Amino acid sequence: MKLPQVVVEHLQSDFLAETRPFCVLIDANHRVVDTWGDGEWLGLAGLPAGTDLFEYAPYLLGTLDEGPFRLNFVSSPAGAVMNLVTIPHKDQHYAVFLDARRAHDDLQKKQQVSNEAVLLQANQLKLIARQRDLIAELVEAKVELNHHRRDMERTSAGKTRFIAMMSHEFRTPLASIVNYSDLALEKDSGLEEMRKSIEAISRSSRHLTSLVDAILDEARLDAGHVTLRERDFDLLELLDDLSAMMAPLAAEKGLSYATRVDADVPTHIRADDVCLRQILINLLGNAVKFTEEGGIRLYISCSDGRLVASVADTGPGISLEDQERVFRAFERGGNLQSIRSGAGLGLTITLGLAELMRGEISLDSTPGLGCTVTVYVPIVAVDDVVESEAPLPVPDASVFAVQGTTVLLCDDDEDMVALLEHYLHRAGYALITTESGAEAVEKAAAYQPDAVIMDINVPGLSGLDAARELRDKDYAGPIIAHTASKLSAEDQATFTRYFRKPAAMNELLMTIKSLTSNHAA
Amino acid sequence: MTTITSKVCIVGDFAVGKTSVVERFVTNQFSDKYLTTVGVKIDTKEIDLPDTDVRHKLVLWDVAGSDRFGDKEFAYLRGAAGLVFVADGTRFGTVDSALQLRGQIDERYGPIPSVILLNKHDLASEWTVSEERIGELGLVFADVYRTSAKTGEEVESALLRLASSIVETTLSDAP
Ligand SMILES: Nc1nc2c(ncn2[C@@H]2O[C@H](COP(=O)(O)OP(=O)(O)O)[C@@H](O)[C@H]2O)c(=O)[nH]1
Ligand SMILES: [Mg+2]
Repeated sequence: MKLPQVVVEHLQSDFLAETRPFCVLIDANHRVVDTWGDGEWLGLAGLPAGTDLFEYAPYLLGTLDEGPFRLNFVSSPAGAVMNLVTIPHKDQHYAVFLDARRAHDDLQKKQQVSNEAVLLQANQLKLIARQRDLIAELVEAKVELNHHRRDMERTSAGKTRFIAMMSHEFRTPLASIVNYSDLALEKDSGLEEMRKSIEAISRSSRHLTSLVDAILDEARLDAGHVTLRERDFDLLELLDDLSAMMAPLAAEKGLSYATRVDADVPTHIRADDVCLRQILINLLGNAVKFTEEGGIRLYISCSDGRLVASVADTGPGISLEDQERVFRAFERGGNLQSIRSGAGLGLTITLGLAELMRGEISLDSTPGLGCTVTVYVPIVAVDDVVESEAPLPVPDASVFAVQGTTVLLCDDDEDMVALLEHYLHRAGYALITTESGAEAVEKAAAYQPDAVIMDINVPGLSGLDAARELRDKDYAGPIIAHTASKLSAEDQATFTRYFRKPAAMNELLMTIKSLTSNHAA
Repeated sequence: MTTITSKVCIVGDFAVGKTSVVERFVTNQFSDKYLTTVGVKIDTKEIDLPDTDVRHKLVLWDVAGSDRFGDKEFAYLRGAAGLVFVADGTRFGTVDSALQLRGQIDERYGPIPSVILLNKHDLASEWTVSEERIGELGLVFADVYRTSAKTGEEVESALLRLASSIVETTLSDAP
């Protein structure tokens, strides 16, 4: 079919209206030869012949080749959007510019939507990836947290175990102190009986003191275990102490109590006496506690360089199940919660102590007929014991004061004041007592005593500050710290001497004496 | 005063910041809004070559990025004296595209002085292009720049570097 002229004209006029064609004929040096149409929309209206077209339409650069060439959707710096066609003609070119704004804008809208969709998707993927990373991080953090929590639980379980162990260890000597004090205070108790009670109290107190020493050593507080402290000591003395502590408890329940020591057991041995004493106290204490009829026997022998101590009772015994549980609990690191009976608890602790001494424990029990627990610990026999480390020597009366010596005492604990008053008066000192740091400073300044004994934890001005103030006021006499607190080396330097409560009275008195005689001289 | 005029094409995936880089270079401005380029957008920028009385007029062709570069797109590159490849550091795939494009252009037009811009460096913390990959780019492109059209970082240096490469090439090609 051939289009009739009327249709062709119609199409032509539509095309012209839509594209507003502008044609420029340029020579080989791209200089304008002639133009056709309206270049207004392009910003190229009224180009005079001879002008370099590239000056005005730099985008033509690279488009003037042999064949016809077309570029769609070229946006000019001036803001026009065109389709560009170059057509060579002899050695000249026609450059045809067609307005493409409408088609460009339509396409732009579509393209914008589709590009944004792609970007959005990419962003979503990125977010999902980041989320996954965050979740992974979270999981990792949680794992770590759990790890820390378990660590902490372990530590805290260790502490709980330690506290359980210590409270158990404390209870036996404490019971002895409480019971013997009651006994001593009974109206009809005779002098001899009273003396015995007080000896028992004194022994138990000393044992408590060594326990406190053992645990309060900073290093030992940690981790719940006590380290081994070996020394030379008299085994028979230790056994006597135990009898003195246990026999009355057994007697109270109508039980017999006997100790037998084989002849070849050395008297003087080297071992951790606190540990050994504790093991035996635990075993004997349990035996007394759980036995209602019959008696307790402690049998000591020696074999292969090991001390063998057997505690036999006629109590209900320990069921196989409980025996197993005790040993298992110990292997697991002592989950004491699973052990209900006190016997079991004591045993687990005892196992720990025996292990510490590189020893062993065996258990032989027939339920209903009693129980024998045997401890094997390595010992070394020694010739003699130098009593250098005797825990707390009892004060003697031979430390008399130089005539007319005055001591100022600052302590807010009435019992302690009464005790020191007793010893100082007996030794012949004149005494000024004060109950607060401020009072001590005031009275020391007023009366210039020959020595000051200062507690640290007193109401108001602390003993430490009081001592500093006294030094500032040029008090030249000795100031002796007597405190339950531990003092740093620096704080200790403020004082002439430092005694940690409980202090050996003898030593305290000797120190006061030597310091005041120097002072007097 | 003599003037050299060079056609420089900016190519790369869509939304890597081609239009933004040109806008930063020509008018020193930036817009956060994304406006898709369709076809090609022409701009010019004249720079004076240091220590000479030569003016270098760059005709910048900001060629619409698309997934596939077809005949129509390659037509835009005819007569280019220099190429600016742009990739988006936050989308590592755009680096692959740039490398692929570089190969295709080399095949069609032979070697043309080029620089590559790893753009959006202001978002460095979100970059997904590894240092290793950037190192590899150095084997293909003589000049690799970390740019930000947003802050202007390295945009001008990168384009001036390309401009001088073009001048060197033009002079050495001259008879
Ligand atoms: N943060 C940041 N955004 C940019 C940068 N360059 C471009 N953009 C943004 O990226 C999007 C795409 O930029 P555009 O220049 O249109 O990319 P083109 O498609 O390659 O021309 C726009 O939203 C810009 O604002 C840049 O250096 N930093
Ligand atoms: Mg663009």
